[in-house]
Amino acid sequence: MPHREKIAWLLLITMLVCYVPYFTLVSINPPAPDVLPNLPQLWLLAATGTAHALIQGLGRLWFRIRAPGDARAPADERDLAIERRSTTVAYYVLMAGMILVGVVMPFTDGGWTIVNAALFMIVVAETFHYGIAVWSYRRSAA
Amino acid sequence: MAGTITNQIRTLRFLAGEMSQAELGQKIGVTRQTIAAIEAGKYSPTLEAAFRIAEVFDKPLGEVFQWTSNRP
Repeated sequence: MPHREKIAWLLLITMLVCYVPYFTLVSINPPAPDVLPNLPQLWLLAATGTAHALIQGLGRLWFRIRAPGDARAPADERDLAIERRSTTVAYYVLMAGMILVGVVMPFTDGGWTIVNAALFMIVVAETFHYGIAVWSYRRSAA
Repeated sequence: MAGTITNQIRTLRFLAGEMSQAELGQKIGVTRQTIAAIEAGKYSPTLEAAFRIAEVFDKPLGEVFQWTSNRP
């Protein structure tokens, strides 16, 4: 499996492992939108972000130690084509999400609802990004 | 304009002393997995990569890659 496919898998799994529990907790127990800064909510977000960075960092380190040559090799034309395709799709998903969150939601919601909706759209866009990368690598694998 | 691209890379590697996919990849600057994908017809290389592959085997491009139209 190429190094960049391993990284795409890592990023996809990390994103799901960290943010599915976060949004499950938030949907079960929604933060009061008008209580700011809402420290418990901030802690939950910080813990999720830290776990995300930590798992990703350790995963990258693990791949680098296991196959240093692969990790150092520059992206080839197939890697770049896959990156281009997945980034393009993720961009449109993010744009649609940000229009919803930044243009429509301020008329009906506020505070943490908007913060979490924005975060959710970023996670959805990133999931598309890495999901399409993984799918493209699998589809063109010999 | 639909069409199918086929290639003779496997045969040419064999004729070049069973050159490995990794070796060919190294010569043209792509990974072994990309060569495997090109060989299996699952990834179409850029024109430059196609020319580089042909150059490695010292063959004209048309002897390495073939295109067949799917149009009836």
